[in-house]
Amino acid sequence: MAAPLVLVVLVAVTVRAVLYRSSLAAFISERVEVASPLNAWKRVVEGLALLDLGVSPYSGAIFHETPLIIYLFHFLIEYAELVFMITDVLTAVALYLAIQDFNKVVFKKQKLLIELDKYAPDVAELIRTPMEMHYIPLKVALFYLLNPYTVMSCVAKSTCAINNTVMAFFILATIKGSAFLSAVFLALATYQSLYPLTLFAPALLYLLQRQFIPIKLKSKSFWLYTMQYAALYLCSLVVIICLSFFLLNSWDFIPSVYGFILSVPDLTPNIGLFWYFFAEMFEHFSLFFVCVFQINVFFYTIPLAIKLKEHPVFFMFVQIAIISIFKSYPTVGDIALYMAFLPVWSHLYRFLRNIFILSCVLIVCSLLFPVLWHLWIYAGSANSNFYYAITLTFNIGQILLISDYFYAFLRREYYLTHGLHLTRQDGTEAMLVLK
Amino acid sequence: SHIVLMLADDMACNPRNPKPATVFSHKNMELNVYGDDVEVDYRSYEVTVENFLRVLTGRIPPSTPRSKRLLSDDRSNILIYMTGHGGNGFLKFQDSEEITNVELADAFEQMWQKRRYNELLFIIDTCQGASMYERFYSPNIMALASSQVGEDSLSHQPDLGIGVHLMDRYTFYVLEFLEEIHPASQTNMNDLFQVCPKSLCVSTPGHRTDLFQRDPQNVLITDFFGSVRKVEITTEAISLDGDLAGFESKLPKDELATESLKYAEQLPVAQIIHQKPKQKDWHPPGGFILGLWALIIMVFFKTYGIKHMKHIF
Repeated sequence: MAAPLVLVVLVAVTVRAVLYRSSLAAFISERVEVASPLNAWKRVVEGLALLDLGVSPYSGAIFHETPLIIYLFHFLIEYAELVFMITDVLTAVALYLAIQDFNKVVFKKQKLLIELDKYAPDVAELIRTPMEMHYIPLKVALFYLLNPYTVMSCVAKSTCAINNTVMAFFILATIKGSAFLSAVFLALATYQSLYPLTLFAPALLYLLQRQFIPIKLKSKSFWLYTMQYAALYLCSLVVIICLSFFLLNSWDFIPSVYGFILSVPDLTPNIGLFWYFFAEMFEHFSLFFVCVFQINVFFYTIPLAIKLKEHPVFFMFVQIAIISIFKSYPTVGDIALYMAFLPVWSHLYRFLRNIFILSCVLIVCSLLFPVLWHLWIYAGSANSNFYYAITLTFNIGQILLISDYFYAFLRREYYLTHGLHLTRQDGTEAMLVLK
Repeated sequence: SHIVLMLADDMACNPRNPKPATVFSHKNMELNVYGDDVEVDYRSYEVTVENFLRVLTGRIPPSTPRSKRLLSDDRSNILIYMTGHGGNGFLKFQDSEEITNVELADAFEQMWQKRRYNELLFIIDTCQGASMYERFYSPNIMALASSQVGEDSLSHQPDLGIGVHLMDRYTFYVLEFLEEIHPASQTNMNDLFQVCPKSLCVSTPGHRTDLFQRDPQNVLITDFFGSVRKVEITTEAISLDGDLAGFESKLPKDELATESLKYAEQLPVAQIIHQKPKQKDWHPPGGFILGLWALIIMVFFKTYGIKHMKHIF
């Protein structure tokens, strides 16, 4: 399977190299959907230039990336394009290896459940075979590398690609079962953009499952393992933050990075939900609404953890999707990461109800973003409502996509244990409804 | 040479001017002073005290075109002619601000210290014009004014067809005098001081020469007017060796012994042209690099086991 992967990687690298040398590169870097105030390349260059002039890069509201990114790009700034292509390739390879391992785990679990007779007798067509699962890792790598969102994000040199790489390595480490590495990568991902904190729960659930520790609140080994993992995670986070203090000998980066993410002062339009509301809100209420909006990201973790505790990788997928919808400055690079997972759940296709409409909505909205931006900013015949309408529609499409997959997943699980042809008590055909 | 013209009113193109694009010195329409080669550099609202002082001292934004700059160096002779409404110690700009004699004197001192002029002739035609040159304190300045302190300068003759007075008396007679000067004339400054006696001008013109190093008798009008340069044509080769003893003896004793700067040297042109790309000045501190790589190595060994350590050491 290495050869097709290498081929895919080569094609992806060629596409990116061609785009770097074309005139589209400048156009794409300017798009607000691709570059947000957090991860625009222009701001990284500006921060490094400020540093060369002897000024802290966090003075003023230009640079909102972490000191480790400063360190990385201080030496690699001439090879920036190469760095971003390599990060994309690393992400794809990490996802490939992760999904390969995950397939083995899924298959083993399925075998165990079949032997234990947990499945209903007529679900033969729902059982997954190694044959159909053989090409899934390659498809995942393909979906990530050749996704137009990823390509645009790479050509714009947005540091979202680096965040994606760290998250992909975190997923790889979790699926391989190494708690230490997974805690370290999760700490790195949280350090860069605050929201991967919510991925602590699915990672913990997966590692517990792997260690065969039952998830009961009274179980001592459960709490012991949780404490160990939490301690690893928090210690690595603290160590990384203290290390970044030593780069510039100041704590300036904390309000500039985390304060910026949490308090959302910059209201440049993007594909997220924050900018429009806060542009027209009175100062009096802005703190309250900032809290409400930010809670949205963290809020779904506990209910999903309770519902999906047997399926932590699916939980991770849903959580990454929720992060990329509800975070304060989303870009298409964040969307590309969870879309890469869609081939893993391709066996749910028969249960998906809205997939046609959703894909139409997503494609049309992606095409309408630059059109309505042009109409608003350049032609002056539209206004921000038009652009926000498309943002809203796009996010609704994403949310529907996630909820559709969620429903399909749960439905399949239900069918597996209760049989495909459900009947009510009086013998007529029953319908499954998600409550 | 280089003329910077600042006109606050545009009389030639004023809609009430029945002879558009012309300003005559007399109603006989003999001399159109707004001829074909007049270039107004600062017009209407650009004529402010700030802009005037900026032109004099050279503190101009980098985007200013060359025609709006003074472009003088330490060998330039500068003529400054100002006219308008004024009073004891001030001249009015734009109906809303004034330039005072102190400001003007300080501006000239700045010009002297930056070596922006060799000799400066200052002519002013306003009421109580002599008050404007009373406060000068920089060397090599000669000043003429149309009236003494306490006197008004009067205008010459109205043109009833237009309805306004066309020119002031002092300016009219100075213009008449200067029309006779040609590039080879040997008329000196003393003749200029005699222009417009009280019988013609009603006010008493004044002048000030105490700051001027040379005797006004020896100063030619063409030193300041007409852009006359001293050109000596020779057919023999002259070697410009380091022997400048003859040149240095011409300097008067009390002149400041400052080195002369060419105009080009007033700007750091060499630095600007040959600017190399900036070297990166900032480097991450050693402690940080050490800490980071120590952490990375620790993570590596924790994951893959300590047994690899013995292969390294």
